[in-house]
Amino acid sequence: MPEVAIVGAGQTRFGDFPDRGVKELFAEAYQETLASVDRGMDPADIQAAYIGCLSAGGGFQLGQLAPLLTSYVGLPDIPSLRVENACASGGYALVAAICAVASGRYDLVLAAGVEKMRDASANRARYWLGVSGDTEYERLAGLTFAGIYATMARRYMEEYALKREHLALVAVKNHAHGAQNPKAQFQRQVDVDTVLRGPEVASPLGVWDCCSTTDGAACVLVASARVARSFTDRPVYVMGWGAASDHLAIHDRARITSLRATVSACRQAYQQAGVGPQDLDLAEVHDCFTIAEIMAYSDLGLCEEGRNAALLESGATRLGGSIPVNVSGGLKAKGHPLGATGIGMACEIFWQLRGQAELPSRQVKDAQIALSHNVGGSGGSAVVVVYRGG
Amino acid sequence: MGAHVSIAMYQRNIPLRYRLVGQRCQTCGGVNFPPRAVCSQCSKGTRFEDIQLSGRGVLYSWTRIAGAGAPSEFAAQAQALGSFVVGLVQLEEGPRVVAQIVEVGRSAPRLGQRVEAVLRRIYEEDGVIRYGYKFRPAGDAAPTPPGK
Ligand SMILES: [Zn+2]
Repeated sequence: MPEVAIVGAGQTRFGDFPDRGVKELFAEAYQETLASVDRGMDPADIQAAYIGCLSAGGGFQLGQLAPLLTSYVGLPDIPSLRVENACASGGYALVAAICAVASGRYDLVLAAGVEKMRDASANRARYWLGVSGDTEYERLAGLTFAGIYATMARRYMEEYALKREHLALVAVKNHAHGAQNPKAQFQRQVDVDTVLRGPEVASPLGVWDCCSTTDGAACVLVASARVARSFTDRPVYVMGWGAASDHLAIHDRARITSLRATVSACRQAYQQAGVGPQDLDLAEVHDCFTIAEIMAYSDLGLCEEGRNAALLESGATRLGGSIPVNVSGGLKAKGHPLGATGIGMACEIFWQLRGQAELPSRQVKDAQIALSHNVGGSGGSAVVVVYRGG
Repeated sequence: MGAHVSIAMYQRNIPLRYRLVGQRCQTCGGVNFPPRAVCSQCSKGTRFEDIQLSGRGVLYSWTRIAGAGAPSEFAAQAQALGSFVVGLVQLEEGPRVVAQIVEVGRSAPRLGQRVEAVLRRIYEEDGVIRYGYKFRPAGDAAPTPPGK
């Protein structure tokens, strides 16, 4: 694959923004992205756009959302496409942009993600999430997204002697990280007792095990290596990527204690990148529920299967540990605006690999190689990207 | 706002939802439930015969959905009961199926526990009650498959 790099990144804070809709959120992230390009740029150089979004602004613009957004920010002429794979929409938009550049057709492509969830009632938000599972079977059995991950968690606890407290430790860690991230939805710490005492959502998962509903947008500029250095001396290169699918419904899967789509996407990404998990300095991992991060540890090769809880307990995945996971706060604390999540991960990695974290205390020291992991629904799709600093 | 499954779409699946009718692959003999265009076991077979599943199985995993966290079309049920249990059942014939687990009250089901299918009201949409399979703890006596 011809070399591809990220030369700019921008993200709104993730959170609850009653004063901004999907267009305004997108515009804010886009403007920040333009401003982030070290040598400046002419927006007219952007040749195409891929925008990850699940709900199309709560369904108000299911058709042609992407051209609506790009013309809103003054890019009316370029091909612009909405990419949808539930919570992995952003990751798939990024991969689409990488492929478009790698094909040789374009030198500069916008990969974006946006989601406006907080306008929706709790019921409606659950609707958009619920119909991303297997609607005919999982949803009609009364399962919610939390319920699906809870079913995985119960089985995982049985097979690997995982304790309820381990799930809580993921929330505690990611909230500690989020507390330092000015772009995070929840910038406060939480302790194990609070997590354990939280109201149950779908046993064994309580409210602190679940990500929230979130508004937000994020963009990155994907460039060919040929032009990357005309924008910046410090591009972040895409070393490799992988994407894969699996049965939507958990009843169709041989195992529910591992996400096959993640394992497959990750293998592709490492192979192309020519690196392995031991080479990573940080990882942004899809922790929509606490159990999801625990499963991801072995799916991404950060530990052997069954050593997941031990890895977490060792502190290795905390900021300052050997492989910090979700220094942004993750979906848990940074927030999970579905379509924006995968691009938000790329933004975090862009900043970390350039040593640009807002606070020195949340910067991973000398970070050179990083991984992002974005999952659709309960594992029906997944994207893994490996990056290196320039 | 409920998940929309039209009456027509639901009706096409009546045999599987009312009576747990699965597919036996004529290529590998594997059992698929719910049905597929291509066999999930051998990834080749496209010809199937209907097979009546026994409705017997064991609980592979489960969760209790809290009242406030229920999908809207199950909100009334969750409100009346406080919560409800959804399980992943490993059927005798091989496939697993997601379904509600009933007649367990507030007790915690046990993984590996024997369960059997029963025909129950699932939910209502477009003013039509949708029936389908749920599972309940099985006694020692051989249960009657639903619909027989
Ligand atoms: Zn077969």
